Parts: sequence; structure tokens; C-alpha cells
Amino acid sequence: MADAVCAGFAGKTSPRTWSRALLLTLPIALWSLFMAMRGLLQPDRSLQVASGVTAAFMIVLFFMMMKTSSTYRWRRWFFVALGVLFPIEFIHNVMVLRGSMGIPIEEMIAGRTPFCFLPIPLLILPAALTRTLVFPGSILPRGGMSGGGMAAMAGLWLAVTLVVGKGWCSYACFFGGIEEGMAALPKKAKWKKLDPRYRLLPWAVLLAMVLLSLALFEPAYCMWLCPFKAVSEYVAARNTVGLVQNGIFVVLFAALVIVLPLLTKKRTQCTFLCPFGAFQSIFNKTSVFDIKIDRTVCSPCVLCQKSCPTMSLSDESIKKGETLMSCMKCGACVDACPKGAAVWHIRGTQVAVKPERARLMFLYAAWAMAAMFGGSIITQGLATILQRVI
Amino acid sequence: MGGPFLLGEAFLLGLASGPACVASCGPVVVPSLLAEGAGWRLNARYLTSFLGTRFLGYLLFAAIAWELGVLVSPAPAARIWIYGGIHVLLGVTLLWYARSIGRSCTHACAGSGLVSIGRVGKRSVSGAAVLGLLTGVSLCPPFVAAGLRAAQLGSIAAALLFFAVFFVATTLWFVPFVGFGCIRRNVSVIFVARMAMVLVALYYLLAGIALLAGRRVYG
Repeated sequence: MADAVCAGFAGKTSPRTWSRALLLTLPIALWSLFMAMRGLLQPDRSLQVASGVTAAFMIVLFFMMMKTSSTYRWRRWFFVALGVLFPIEFIHNVMVLRGSMGIPIEEMIAGRTPFCFLPIPLLILPAALTRTLVFPGSILPRGGMSGGGMAAMAGLWLAVTLVVGKGWCSYACFFGGIEEGMAALPKKAKWKKLDPRYRLLPWAVLLAMVLLSLALFEPAYCMWLCPFKAVSEYVAARNTVGLVQNGIFVVLFAALVIVLPLLTKKRTQCTFLCPFGAFQSIFNKTSVFDIKIDRTVCSPCVLCQKSCPTMSLSDESIKKGETLMSCMKCGACVDACPKGAAVWHIRGTQVAVKPERARLMFLYAAWAMAAMFGGSIITQGLATILQRVI
Repeated sequence: MGGPFLLGEAFLLGLASGPACVASCGPVVVPSLLAEGAGWRLNARYLTSFLGTRFLGYLLFAAIAWELGVLVSPAPAARIWIYGGIHVLLGVTLLWYARSIGRSCTHACAGSGLVSIGRVGKRSVSGAAVLGLLTGVSLCPPFVAAGLRAAQLGSIAAALLFFAVFFVATTLWFVPFVGFGCIRRNVSVIFVARMAMVLVALYYLLAGIALLAGRRVYG
């Protein structure tokens, strides 16, 4: 109750003192430095600098979360940095290795492509029925660029997912940051009325892609619909069909990752397309953390609804005192609520009782993952830039 | 080879090929069945209609191919035309189906029938029947396997019987789809299924046009 006592409203906490914020940051600071050690001990000067900067970046952001009790705006810095630096590092790597972002189909079949988490839901049925992975990446230790990365990626994903649920999409996904950055640029949304039915579209994409992947025995989403092929790696076009495929990638990227976020201030690719996001929503049911609306203090100002980057709050869900299944636990609604009615919550506990404790527990789990997973990508991206610039 | 052995072989072949049949027809059956938003009874009707016309497609293809003696190895050009044409027709039918569901009163009017996608004379044509026929005549791998064996038989009657038994065995794998009836009239599910139909249709259209234009899909 101490959290609530020092607050003006039930779930709203006042800023912490410096010393208390520092104390709460200490575990994450140690973890971030531990993560940075691998780079700091390398002889490469740019990697040393990048590792140090990344660790400092992660520690400062977490400290600010602790100091201000605001989550979304500080997390966003990390997430945008991850989204921007991942393509830089990835494109640099494939250019060095191959001299082109286009990968010949023979190379893909040979498994010389890194594993990505997005097709995980597309692999399950073919793997279950035929014990074959339809993703064109190798799972053998020396089977190509991916090496044993697939097992590590899948294992990491499962462990994290069981704890944070769809929080993965706000703290680990290296694709969502670009659109979140774009959505942050305009002061106000130009398109405010979006048909709420369209937030079901990722489920349609998931259904269609799972079925097509099983029928065609290929990761259909990667072949036809992934917007992030435009900033990572695509099948080298050798004919008209290849050009059409790449055209689809570019158009989807431009529309859903650049233009629509600027117009709507929403993460439109995540909201309207991403099949992995839809799949990940299922795990929101297993995660111990969620966000609730305390109906006893909520005046229906719908600021939470407006602030949600993925349209995960509806009038009905607010009346029920909860978010929709697609909630990514980014904390935007909690930060936006002037009365502290939107609160972090641990399943099985009473709503709005010690919400700050729930937030802390979630953030420790999510930020530890962010520092380990996103932190390494940020480090690599920074190191790449430093190597090129200096 | 004796009759019972032949029938047993056809049945086992069908049973073994069933998962591949379900995988092959899945992009067509699952979204359209979900989009019907129907209960158990209507789902059973959908599957009967789909599988019935699929059987008809099988028999038609088998009979014609047996007569021509080119069941599984038509000339590459002809094969591309068959594949491409069926892909395009599947794409158009799925798009039409998705559009018809939006206009149909199936989900608002309790107790009505399957979604109709057109009329022939005074009779309406259900989308399930058209999709069944198109998937029946498409050259899916299990179909080719059965075709290979049927082509070795001495008479058209034996070939048709072989196909019939093969079909019955593959059909068993479709029975669980009746269970979709437990999520009937869920507006969200119907919307998701319709949109999935559109996506699958676009894939079939694109792949079909690419085949007809003589282009390889991928690279």
C-alpha cells in the first residue's frame, strides 16, 4: 500500500529519490555490465567503445524508469535504437559476406541464412507432421551463417515468452523499433479513426501463412509478405516473379513501417500485419504480468485507448478493466492515464494493490532480456558504425 | 492382383496420404469453412459438399486420364497449363467466396444454408462445391501417387474403384474439421477467415499467373 499512499491517485506513484532509484537500478547495472564484458574484453577498440556505450545506455534508461516511474518513453529510446541499429549491422554483414542484400535461392536452400523468430509459428505444423523445418536456415552447427542459432533463438524466445508474454514485441523484437520511431515523430495523428476490425488482420495473416506454409512446405510469410526483407535480406530476383516479391516487401515496408505510423502514430505493421505478434498474443494468457484498468478510479477519458500504439484497448475492454489480448505491455497506457487507473498487475493478485511492485518485477525480467538480446544487437550496430566512421 | 488386395492397397494409400491431402487442401478448406461460421450440422454439409465434388473431380480426372493414357505424366507444357489454370480458378473462386460471405445472410439468418457464390438456373451453387471440384482436379502429390497406381490397372472400372476407395480413406482425415462448429457465428472468426481467404486467393492468383506466363516462382 505504500506505493498508493505516496501517490495522488491509486496507481500513480510519485518520482523516487535519486538514491532509491539508484538502488533499484543496481541489479540491472550489474547485469548490463556483465553483458558488456564480452565486448569490453575484445581487442577491437570500436567493439570496446560500443559495449561500454550500450551498457551505459541501458543503465541510464532503466534508472530513468525507476526515477520517473514512467516506462514507455524511456523504453522507446531503447526500442528505436534497436530497430535502427539492427538493419545497419545486418546489412553491413551481408554486404561484407556476399556483396549484396539479395540471397540466391540456392544459398537459402543450403541454409546460409540466419534464423529469424518471425516464422516460428509457421514452422510448428510442418515440423510436427514431418519432423522437417521448412525455414531455409540450417540447424547444424556448421550448416551456414545461422549455425546453431536457431536452437538458441527458439529456446530464448520460449523462456522469455513464458514470462513476459507479448512483452517480447516491446522489449526484444528488432523489427518494431523503426515504426515506433516513425510513430513518435508527429505531434498529432492525422488519421485518427481506424476501423477496429482491422486489428484482427494479423490473425488472418497468421492463419493464411500457417496453412500455406504447410501446403507449400516453405515459410510463406518470408517468401511473400515480410516487410523487413526490405531492410535485411531477400531472395535475389532473377525474373518477374522475384521482382514482384521484392516489390511487395518494399511496398509493405514503406506503407506499414514508414507512412502509416507517421499518419496514425500507431505501430501499424505490428497492429495490422505481423503474424508473429498474433501468435505471441496467445502467450499473454500464460504470462504472469498484465495491465489492468482500475474501474474504481477510471473516468472514461479514453486517453489510454488513444495512447496505445497497437489499438489494444477498446471501449468494451476498458469497461471490463483489462486490455485486449494483443497488449504488448509497452506501458504507454499506464503512463498516459492521469488518474493512475491503468496499472501493472500480476495475475492472481488484486488489481491496483502495489502496482508499482508488479511494474518493477515485470521490468526486471523484460529489461534483463532487453540488455542481453537487444543490447548485443545495439553493440554490434554501434561497433559497425564506429568501424566505418573512425 | 485380387480385388480385396487392390482395395486394401487403395485404402492404405489413402490413409497414408491423408495428412498430405489435408495439408494440400488446408489453405482452401480451413478459411472457407471457418468463414461459413456454421454449426456442426452445417459444417458436415459443407464437408459433404466439398468432398463430394472433390470426389467427382478425382473421378473425372482419372477417367479422362485413363482414356488418354497420360494420367501422371502429361507433357510439361500441359502440366503447367493445368496447374496454372487451376491456381487462377481457385484464386478467383476464393475471392468471390469471400465477397459472397459478406453479402450472404447465412450468419444473420438462423438455419440458412451454405454460402452461395452464384446460380445455375434456379439452383444456387455453393462455394464449397466449386472449391471441392477444383481441388479434386488439381494434381496434388497424393493424387499423383494414386494416379500412378491406378494407371497400371487393366480397366477403367478398376481404376475408378481404386480412386473411390483411395478417396474414402483420405476423407477420414477431414472429419475433425466438423469440430469447427464449436466456434459458430463468431464475428471475429468470420472476419479473420474471410481475410485469410483473400490472402490465400492472392497467393493462388499470383502463382497461377506466374505459371501461365511461364515464370518460375522464386528465383
